[in-house]
Amino acid sequence: MEILKQRPSRNPKEVLTFALLVFLSSITLLTTLGVILSLVGDVAQFFRRVPLTEFLFAPEWTPLFADPRYGISPLIAGTFLVTLIALLVAVPLGLALAIYLSEYASGAARARIKGTLELFEGIPTVVFGYFALLFVTPLLQRVIPDLNIFNPLSAGLVMGFAIIPYISNVAADAMESVPRSIREAAYALGARPYEVALRVVFPAAISGIIAAIILATSRAIGETMIVAIAAGQRPILTLDPRETIATMTSYIVQAATGDQPTGSTGFYALFAVGFTLFLLTLFLNILAQYVVERYRERYE
Amino acid sequence: MVSLEMLKEHETVRTAPVSEAEALVDVRGLSLWYGKKQALYDISVRFPRNQVTAIIGPSGCGKSTLLRSLNRMNDLVPGVRVEGEVLYEGVNIYDPRVDPVAVRRHIGMVFQKPNPFPKTIFENVAFGLRLMGVKGSELEDRVVEALKRAALWNEVQDRFKKESGLRLSGGQQQRLCIARAIAVEPPLLLMDEPTSALDPIATQAIEDLIQELKTRYTVVIVTHNMQQAARVSDRTLFMHLGVLVEEGPTEVLFTKPKHPYTEAYITGRFG
Amino acid sequence: MNRTLSSPSPEAFGTDPWKTRIDRTFARALVLPLVLAIGLLVLLLGDTLYRSVSVQVVRADEGPGRTYPFGLAATEVLRQELLARGYTEEEARSLLQDPTERRVLFLQNRVELMWNTQEGPFRYVVTGLRDERVADFSLLEGLRRWEELKAGLGEGERLVLNPWLDQSFLTRTPSRSPLTAGIGVAIWGTIWVLSLALLIAIPVGIGTAILLEEYLREGTLNRILEVNLRNLAGVPSIVYGLLGLAIFVREMGLGPTILSAALTLGLLGIPVIVVTARESLRAVPESLRQAAFALGATRRQVVFRVVVPAALPGMVTGVILSAARLIGEAAPLLLVGAAAYVPFYPTGPLSEYTVIPVQIYLWVSMNIPEFARVAAAGILVMLLVLSGLYFLALYLRNRFRREW
Repeated sequence: MEILKQRPSRNPKEVLTFALLVFLSSITLLTTLGVILSLVGDVAQFFRRVPLTEFLFAPEWTPLFADPRYGISPLIAGTFLVTLIALLVAVPLGLALAIYLSEYASGAARARIKGTLELFEGIPTVVFGYFALLFVTPLLQRVIPDLNIFNPLSAGLVMGFAIIPYISNVAADAMESVPRSIREAAYALGARPYEVALRVVFPAAISGIIAAIILATSRAIGETMIVAIAAGQRPILTLDPRETIATMTSYIVQAATGDQPTGSTGFYALFAVGFTLFLLTLFLNILAQYVVERYRERYE
Repeated sequence: MVSLEMLKEHETVRTAPVSEAEALVDVRGLSLWYGKKQALYDISVRFPRNQVTAIIGPSGCGKSTLLRSLNRMNDLVPGVRVEGEVLYEGVNIYDPRVDPVAVRRHIGMVFQKPNPFPKTIFENVAFGLRLMGVKGSELEDRVVEALKRAALWNEVQDRFKKESGLRLSGGQQQRLCIARAIAVEPPLLLMDEPTSALDPIATQAIEDLIQELKTRYTVVIVTHNMQQAARVSDRTLFMHLGVLVEEGPTEVLFTKPKHPYTEAYITGRFG
Repeated sequence: MNRTLSSPSPEAFGTDPWKTRIDRTFARALVLPLVLAIGLLVLLLGDTLYRSVSVQVVRADEGPGRTYPFGLAATEVLRQELLARGYTEEEARSLLQDPTERRVLFLQNRVELMWNTQEGPFRYVVTGLRDERVADFSLLEGLRRWEELKAGLGEGERLVLNPWLDQSFLTRTPSRSPLTAGIGVAIWGTIWVLSLALLIAIPVGIGTAILLEEYLREGTLNRILEVNLRNLAGVPSIVYGLLGLAIFVREMGLGPTILSAALTLGLLGIPVIVVTARESLRAVPESLRQAAFALGATRRQVVFRVVVPAALPGMVTGVILSAARLIGEAAPLLLVGAAAYVPFYPTGPLSEYTVIPVQIYLWVSMNIPEFARVAAAGILVMLLVLSGLYFLALYLRNRFRREW
């Protein structure tokens, strides 16, 4: 009979389509491979010239000096400082917004707020950098007279706003997935809305909330344009938010836009810093995924 | 309580069994597993040509699963495993040389909820025909023919090339899905609770349609509504917990059920 | 204190005013971040708009600093300016008729419409490459001192209310002088880079999404691809820049060209497009796939004749939003050559280039007040483009929204 045809897996069109799709998606794997390979080669070059101990423990980062030092700690300190300031802004605001979105906003309001957040996310960071340098810094200088023009304070403050959506979206998703029945149980015991939000929903969604904060941290560490414009490019080992500093990302920008001859140690230092940045953000992303998987409450 | 062990030991009770010559589909010893869970237990039954056979039973009894094994839709479920044979016109559709895609082109199916494609009415009905390579004026003629046979033509003839199938009412959508299924002239039409999402008037229209259809097609219909089974079908199968408990002419099964479980179900004591 | 429940009396159901107040305050406090965020947006936009307009006193390098009435053709304005600079009729005509001379003349002298001048509102001025800024005031201060400034104008000086974002700003090439700097080269660079990047990111992104949603919903390959995509999405964009620098610019020898930038940006765009495309595929109800399979469609036919057409509006919206994201990316492109000073329009994939956000970065980091005005004008251009895309996506999303 007619239905006794070949198995579909041997149909050449089907096989070809599948092969094409596999080929296309393999490019995403090649990208990861490319990132790692491109960094590893040049990082190896760097460490052939600069000992790892120097990179990790030297207190100065001065690749352009006559006697260059390659200690990454000033860049780490700068990154840490800006990230900390950004999180101090973004965590309370982002979490408050998430609670509002998941517990208080009506359907229409939620859609509108999410639209606004989408808009916020869509603003290029170079615009935030411009705003930090030319609007926020002069404003802050009136309050803090010895604030440097380039400073981590205004860069961090503005970056805090820029990463609010990353926290509020993920945290709101986590809180929204807490089942209705749990809320109703709390209400039935006479809890008030704020008690339900803070004592029931918030703890139940804690793993998602922690993941949101970790992801936002990773964003802040990797954020480039705001710090390159507003925080400055002077690697100094300090935690004073009024001083000009440099972060890992702003150093990469500085080195790449300056005239570092290809093949010089300074050029390879670029990749060493980039690799450190890559490892740090990768670690945070994996940590966030781990937290979600490991501590997910199961409602079934 | 009804236990699986008790049922499994039982032979299926058959009244006026269908002969091999009358049968379009002959299911022989069909068992089916979803992963480790067995959903059908050794089912043997024949579906006679140009008749309507209804499958009834409480929810989760495997009636949809049995229906979906008749056109190998269950193959799409990951981890499914089948034993036994389903002979369609004498050919075992589970033979390893058989292409399930070809099987489905021979057998039409209508689902619980109307599921028209987000395309025009015309394109919906033409979909199966296009897969078979029908083109041009023949395509058009056969689409119109199918819409007429599904009793939808009068309502949509002035707009069927422009309007999306999603703009129709629920009952119209379901008749569109029937038209889509019968456009390729399948000898066998499977219906999985086709009226469960419809209001009584639309249900009436579909039931009338089923009576029309059986002059040309063999119909197997799964329903949770016993009145419906009594109204539209010639033969009825009663299933429970994956076991075929009893089968026979509809009036016999509904008026003189032989198996105690069938009787309990018919009289509304469980299900 | 007695903490056990007493038998119900009317008082037991009374309100606790203290708790009610906490409740209300809490609900109000939660709106605060939204107010702050919107406030920041308003300030940002307001500051950019305000900075993009200024009152200036400019000394012309040559000529008398004249202005010309609104409505004249650019060539006519330039002819009159040449005459005013002391050229004869004859010389002016021959300069303007020779195509090469004419091009150079227009590159060095920009005809611009000013909102106000010492000779009245809405008049053209001709800005030369070597014109010199005498003073630059913010809008309010400039308007307040307008008369005073007008009285103090010297020989060859003009007083203008300059909207930095005007038509000629969109077509001008970069320049060392803020008065003649424009964003034209960067706009074309962005168009080139973005189109080529999407040419890579769309097929790979959508193909991967189809594979994950329609072919491999589980299994090892699905796991690997998913984990990889999630990690790629978290890689800072500047690291993609390092990849581009190491592989495309150096290893493949493409140099600091549009092609290198497009490849880099394309890779960066893939995870974003995968996410949105998967969402729209997932929104297609399973019953449609079942219906198509039941009609005897093969996997490929189900996917490409039913599922993808049904998901298309969502995918298009997703691609537009991803494109908007990519337009604003500056960091990775800084590493693959966008930071260069490029005074020429790009002619092909191997041209040197710059893009809008990088151009803005370069202007901001000049740290000269007037370049900040140029940067503000550039930001307005970029935000206009982005909001255009955003509203297009919003329109498509609403226009093709389906109720299944």
